Amino acid sequence: MTLDIEFSVKNLDFFYNGDNHALKDVTLPIHRNQVTALIGPSGCGKTTLLRCFNRMHDLYPRHRYEGEIIFEDRNILADDVDLIKLRSRIGMVFQKPTPFPMSIAENIAYGLRLKGVRNKSELTGRIEQALKNAALWEEVRDKMNANAYDLSGGQQQRLVIARALAVEPEVLLFDEPTSALDPISTAKIEELVVTLKKHITIIIVTHNMQQAARVSDMTGFMYLGELIEFGSTEKIFTAPEKKQTDDYITGRFG
Amino acid sequence: MATSNKKNVLDLSFSLITAVASLSIIFIIVGIFWILVRESAPAIHKFGFIDFLISTEWNPVKELFGAAANISGTFMTTALALLFAVPTAIGIAIFVTEVAPNFLKGPVGIAIELLAAIPSIIYGMWGLFTLAPIMSRHIEPFLQKTLGKLPVLEVLFRGTPLGIDILTASVILAIMIIPFTASIARDSFNLTPAVVKESAYALGATQWEVVKNIVLPYSKLGVFGGIVLSLGRALGETMAVAFVLGNNHKIATSFLDAAATITVTLANEFTEADSDIYLSSLYYLALVLFVMSFIALAIAKLMLIRAERKYSR
Repeated sequence: MTLDIEFSVKNLDFFYNGDNHALKDVTLPIHRNQVTALIGPSGCGKTTLLRCFNRMHDLYPRHRYEGEIIFEDRNILADDVDLIKLRSRIGMVFQKPTPFPMSIAENIAYGLRLKGVRNKSELTGRIEQALKNAALWEEVRDKMNANAYDLSGGQQQRLVIARALAVEPEVLLFDEPTSALDPISTAKIEELVVTLKKHITIIIVTHNMQQAARVSDMTGFMYLGELIEFGSTEKIFTAPEKKQTDDYITGRFG
Repeated sequence: MATSNKKNVLDLSFSLITAVASLSIIFIIVGIFWILVRESAPAIHKFGFIDFLISTEWNPVKELFGAAANISGTFMTTALALLFAVPTAIGIAIFVTEVAPNFLKGPVGIAIELLAAIPSIIYGMWGLFTLAPIMSRHIEPFLQKTLGKLPVLEVLFRGTPLGIDILTASVILAIMIIPFTASIARDSFNLTPAVVKESAYALGATQWEVVKNIVLPYSKLGVFGGIVLSLGRALGETMAVAFVLGNNHKIATSFLDAAATITVTLANEFTEADSDIYLSSLYYLALVLFVMSFIALAIAKLMLIRAERKYSR
């Protein structure tokens, strides 16, 4: 089976504060309409790698990229990339739910307005569609004007996913999206991730190995800033090639 | 036994000292209020409550006193100062927290705080000798030629541009309160969680969109508290204003009129108060200011508490 490549990460190095070498020569493909999981112990660089895809590091001073991430034949790490446009195509969901201080409906309308959607009925339609896609519609349809902070943590996280989906991104980056949630909310988000990959490419960073095994097609294991092993999730979890990978997934370290 | 007794005595005296220090604050506030009420009693008795507040009379010869001119002077200078200071201060806070490159954040922040460290008498001298001439020669004639030609606004710019007037006093007040508003606004902006800002950036928001839609709504209560705190400061400021306001007991209709604020009247006239009712009326004025400032600060405190409670989770 050959798969389309969404991103091609080539010899990527990343430095914080000029000299803190956080990613070392990382090379991997990210397949389109697949879920790619990044696993590894704390501080291994998986979140750092994730935040390269939407250039989140650019919000902070003294960072440096070396190498390439090719997306649609272009290196998105180049200086002349329009970050606003890039980020509207590559969505991100964070560890903690991050609703904005406004109503449920406004939270989702926010991204749409940024993209220039002004028409009232179009907004309403797309808000509803996004909430349905994030499996939240039934729970909030009667309180669209309620403050987003009134929702439970799991609902807030799905609201944030809906907000990211509303702008119709091609890629969605998940940074440990369920680490702050209870098991039932976690199951809902995982289910959602699997459904969403029909339309978008997903990269998910997780501490939870069962989660990686359940939702992902491809898995990369990282350690101390290096990508130790990358392959199909089945292979990584049943017959890893490297001893370090085996030690980590069997819980001998990390 | 002996050591534990000694420890208890130390503990007890320590608690006692802190308690006395804290309670003395309450005692002093109540004491000041009580003295103000007691000393102003003759004036309260003679001029009443509402009548004193709305009377523009200030006539030591006839011994007729009213607070309206002073109150209006206080309000006009304060309101105008806030009008100048608040947008500037919020702009500074946005620059320092969101826009400035790292190497500028420190110096600008320190400069703002140094502004707050300059004694107000120096602002007053600077206002009289430097700002007032500039205002009367350049800025006020310019305003009369431009804004002073507009229909309704024209009223506010009538008169001779002497530079000793409400406008100059307000500019000095504004410069004095900018540090307060700016540093409270900056602290409130910093309460916005980084990850919420990141989420907005992750949706493709620009810097301005993040400030406008995320940072400002997040911190509006805190910023409001800062504004009211500056209001309290502006209400009570004396020396800087005394030099450039002209001490004129009339309700000003133009920004170029000389006026008097409560504080300036108190500073100027306590030494010349030759009759009991004159002195009592000054105390009465002080009482009015005390209550005004108290209300302003209480509102500010309430706003800040609410802001913290709302976003501290």
